[in-house]
Formats: sequence, structure tokens, C-alpha cells
Amino acid sequence: MKDKKSYDVILFKAVSYALKAEKILKKENLPHKLIPVPKHISSDCGICLMVHLDMKDQVLTALQDKVDIENVRPLTE
Amino acid sequence: MADIKIIDARGLSCPQPVVLTKQALEANAMVTTIVDNETALENVKRLAGKFGCDVDVEPKGKSVYEIHIVRGADFKKDQDFTVSCQTGESPSGPFVITVTEDKMGRGNDELGTVLIKAFIHTVAGQAKKPDVMIFYNTGVKLTVQGSDVLDDLKQMESEGVQILVCGTCLNYFEIKEKLAVGIVSNMYDIVETMSSAGRLLTP
Repeated sequence: MKDKKSYDVILFKAVSYALKAEKILKKENLPHKLIPVPKHISSDCGICLMVHLDMKDQVLTALQDKVDIENVRPLTE
Repeated sequence: MADIKIIDARGLSCPQPVVLTKQALEANAMVTTIVDNETALENVKRLAGKFGCDVDVEPKGKSVYEIHIVRGADFKKDQDFTVSCQTGESPSGPFVITVTEDKMGRGNDELGTVLIKAFIHTVAGQAKKPDVMIFYNTGVKLTVQGSDVLDDLKQMESEGVQILVCGTCLNYFEIKEKLAVGIVSNMYDIVETMSSAGRLLTP
């Protein structure tokens, strides 16, 4: 990863929401990456979507009213 | 003068020398532990240091040491202490990961697809990376154009991880021309790499 500081992660209530969000973003051609939830956020074996800060607004708009988002946090501590 | 408790830990395997020394120190102000290898020496010295004791090591011939330990004023009882039983040598041979499928685990394919992506991303972020990664069967699909883990694999390749991709498998799925990371390999290289591995891991 080039610069971890320029990424946020989008957290969901359940794995299925993350998968649904990934499908939507793939369809819309919005760059994203499914990654394990960083350890400093949760020790659960969860997954989340990593997005570049430049794309964050577009991604959040695309997901709006379609997928419940729990939280958006920086990738790094 | 108080008695010195003598622990003869020669011939005992790790972590016995440390365990016995720790027990002795809890009951005695002065302990001398005799060990016959460097690992035990280092572990006992570390233990004594952690417990705030004075340590004096007296070599007694080949790999035999008498470790004289005197409890200090700030002796701390009941501390956690982790014994390192490794000899310092890592297992000989490369650390190899075989990726045998484009999924991780059995049962649910949708979930398995997510897990393998998370696995490879996490491996790429580890300080201790594999020396070689071998991809075969549907695992080869992770190394071609359109794969969601290409950036992770490319990053690892640039950091010196060797990526071997089964040629027969690429051929079978008719995706050889789409290969985007690693080198096309064959069963000879794959068998040789697996046989010489110090550690072989399959997700």
C-alpha cells in the first residue's frame, strides 16, 4: 500500500452487508478493496471495505439507502 | 550466611531449568543453577533479570555454566515470564505457502472467496513473509488479470517473495495469457520447493 493515511475503512454490521456493498461498488466501477478489519478497530474476524479518501464521497453516495453502514474510520491508528 | 540452593539443571530440556530456578528463587534468597546449554543460560539469565536479581555467570567447561543468582531488594515475586525454547535457529528451508484454491476453507464458496482475499492481503502486510508462494488448481485464478488480490501479490513479489504458478492449471482454465504476477512453473519445481520447505502452510 502506498500511503495508508489516504485510506478509510467502511465498517458494516455483518459480513453479508460488506459483500452486498462490494457487489454494488464493482457494478459502479468504484475502486475499493475488501480487507480484514484492522486490529486496532476490532479483534473480531471481520471484513470491511477500504476506500481511498478521494473516492470516499462517491462510494458512500453509491451505498446510501442500499447498505447499512456501521462506521467509517481511518485505516491507520 | 544463608544457604545457597543449588539446582542442577544439566540434561533437562527447556523450559525445565527456568521453571526450577523460578521455584527455587521464590523460596531462597540465593540460588545457583547449573545448565549445560546456551538456551537455558540465556533463559535463566533473563528470568533473573526480570525478577530484579543479581546474576553472575561462571563458565564450567564446554557449554556448562553455573549461574549464581542473588535476590535483590526489589525482588518481584509472581511475575509473568515467557520462556523462549527456540534454539535461535529457524527451521532450515524456505517458508512456503501453497494456495490450492481461489477460496479459503470448505462449506460456503461466497465466504471462501472473501476469506482467501483477506488471507492474502494479511500475508502481504506481515513482517515475516513467505519465501515462496505456490498457486495451483483454482488457486491460479488469483494470479491473473481481474484478480482482486493482484496488488497484494505484486507487492510481495517486489519484496522478494517468489510466486510460482502452475502452468498446467493456467492451461486447463485457458487463462495462461492473462497471467499478471509470478512465473509459470511446473510440477518439478513445485515438488522440489515443497519437499525442501522448512515450513509449508496451506490456507
